[in-house]
Amino acid sequence: MLKQRLTGQLGLLAILAIALFFIVSALVTLDLGTARRLGPGAFPLMVGGLLAVLSMIVLIQNLRTEMSWSAPDWTALLMIGSGVAAFAFLTPVLGVLPAVFLSVLFSSSANREVTWLLRLCLAFAVAVGVWVIFLLGLQMPFVAIRGL
Amino acid sequence: MDILANLALGFSTAATPMNLMYCFAGVFLGTFIGVLPGVGPLAAVAMLLPVSFYLPPETALVMLAGVYYGAEYGGSIASILLNIPGTPSASVTCLDGYPMAQQGRAGVALFVTAIASFFGAMFGVVVMVLLSPALAEFALLFGPAEYFSVMVLGLVAASVVSNHGALRGIMMVCLGILLGTVGVDVNSGETRFTGGIAELRDGVNLVVVAMGLFGISEVITSARGATRSYATAKISLKQFLPTGAEWLRSIAPAFRGASVGSFFGTLPGTGQTVASFVGYALEKRISRNRDNFGKGAIEGVVVPESANNAAAQTAFIPTLTLGIPGSATMALMLGALMIHGITPGPRLITERPELFWGLIVSFLFGNLFLLILNIPLIGLWVKLLQVPHFYLYPAVIVLICVGVYSIDNSVFDIWVTLGFGLLGYFMRLYKFEPAPLLIGFVLGPMMEEFFRRAMLLSRGDPLVFLERPGSAALLGVSVILLIWAMLPGRARKQKLA
Repeated sequence: MLKQRLTGQLGLLAILAIALFFIVSALVTLDLGTARRLGPGAFPLMVGGLLAVLSMIVLIQNLRTEMSWSAPDWTALLMIGSGVAAFAFLTPVLGVLPAVFLSVLFSSSANREVTWLLRLCLAFAVAVGVWVIFLLGLQMPFVAIRGL
Repeated sequence: MDILANLALGFSTAATPMNLMYCFAGVFLGTFIGVLPGVGPLAAVAMLLPVSFYLPPETALVMLAGVYYGAEYGGSIASILLNIPGTPSASVTCLDGYPMAQQGRAGVALFVTAIASFFGAMFGVVVMVLLSPALAEFALLFGPAEYFSVMVLGLVAASVVSNHGALRGIMMVCLGILLGTVGVDVNSGETRFTGGIAELRDGVNLVVVAMGLFGISEVITSARGATRSYATAKISLKQFLPTGAEWLRSIAPAFRGASVGSFFGTLPGTGQTVASFVGYALEKRISRNRDNFGKGAIEGVVVPESANNAAAQTAFIPTLTLGIPGSATMALMLGALMIHGITPGPRLITERPELFWGLIVSFLFGNLFLLILNIPLIGLWVKLLQVPHFYLYPAVIVLICVGVYSIDNSVFDIWVTLGFGLLGYFMRLYKFEPAPLLIGFVLGPMMEEFFRRAMLLSRGDPLVFLERPGSAALLGVSVILLIWAMLPGRARKQKLA
């Protein structure tokens, strides 16, 4: 019960933490300037302060009324996340097209009812599509396949 | 006479083969992406934004605008056929469009949508032609204090309409503003909040934020349960033309819808969704045919469609004349302009008339294309809806990755996009909306600039924002809006949604 209540507030706490990060780093590392000539830290400090105050208000409101939140779909999150990560990792190593191929393989595994053969075909088709549209069509300066 | 000369200039810009081609491409791609449920105009514009970097500014804007209203139109198709709104603003169209489709009149509903959208859009364009120059002239009187206050009003309005309460909307606006301060401060040259990461010196790219918050997080939300295709029911397209009586009954509602839409489109923060809801609610109250609303009344399709397309056009008025976007999608358009080195604002019309009037005239062409495109292509869109979602979402992910990578050939940007994707996903789970964040992100740096300038001019007196009448009025309206939003009784509106 307590754990459930706590996870329900995590989002707000995270926002509060972000606000505090901006406030503290504005105070510590940046010049606030004078009222007439505001420094680089002044505006972020104000907005960060407002955000911190608002998140505390909402936090207090939430303590009274139970706040509903939806549980994350970890499988989808992991697979889509790894699809994007695969592209980011592999593009500098292998080139854009292999990265696209593997990215599709990863992100399509969020759905388990699909066969591997279909997945491979889809990955190949998307890679060809990217090659035709972005490299041949739009002439974008990508390395298609590294070492080719 | 002035208007005619301006329109002639617009025609000469918009009617070049290249601009016509990109206008067509934009409208087509926009409709294509908009038809897919869950992927709205914002994601569509974000995905095609990197492509536009390679084009001259007029062409880029013409194409992106085409994508935007094309996607709006595409959203209505999914609403009518599947009862799944492709875009939030199309959700009203579900109310009568889907019953029509169930009665075997999908063809009629889609045809009427095309016509009503075209009519609404043209109405919006006329309003834009008449209103923009006057508004821009008025805005030239604005000083930094007024600009700051207009932005406050825009941001408050954007938070007030968010679904989970004004307070949460404002929090997201603040978060967006803070994220917008990351990078080098233009006034002092100091680096802010980069944590020593060199890639962050120029700040986070707008496309990265938009693709992450809207693209990736939407895909995560909809990726599962995606083996089914959406369209399973038989859709009959045998009959396209409404009956004569229906034509007649639709004329007055089309005008009312377009008027309501044009009005709400120009207000910052409200946009098409509110326009179509208000239009529908109004029509339901005054129509003689009101008993049939919700059961497939043709007016129930005409009104929201003419309203949301009129609003889609008039939303460009504040964006282009004041430099203040009313919605997240408009914020993205504004970002696109700035990437091309054009500062939107009251001077845009006089300094870049070919851009402004060319864009307006391209709306005319774009909507004509939509009309011509969609009547024969309805069958194609239906087929697209029958493709299992499974094939589409990995392709969307790749499109996002390639799009982000093409901005700078930077892998770092892709990681940041992923970060924003996760942020956007968890925000949704915790009932925070990404749209106000994006508006804050775009407006933040401008707001800071005007705030600092106003303080400099007033010699450090913060009361300047209340002493200048224009600024005070704008802030007053913002406060009233906020109080209204916090009052109970807003539940009624949410029930309608």
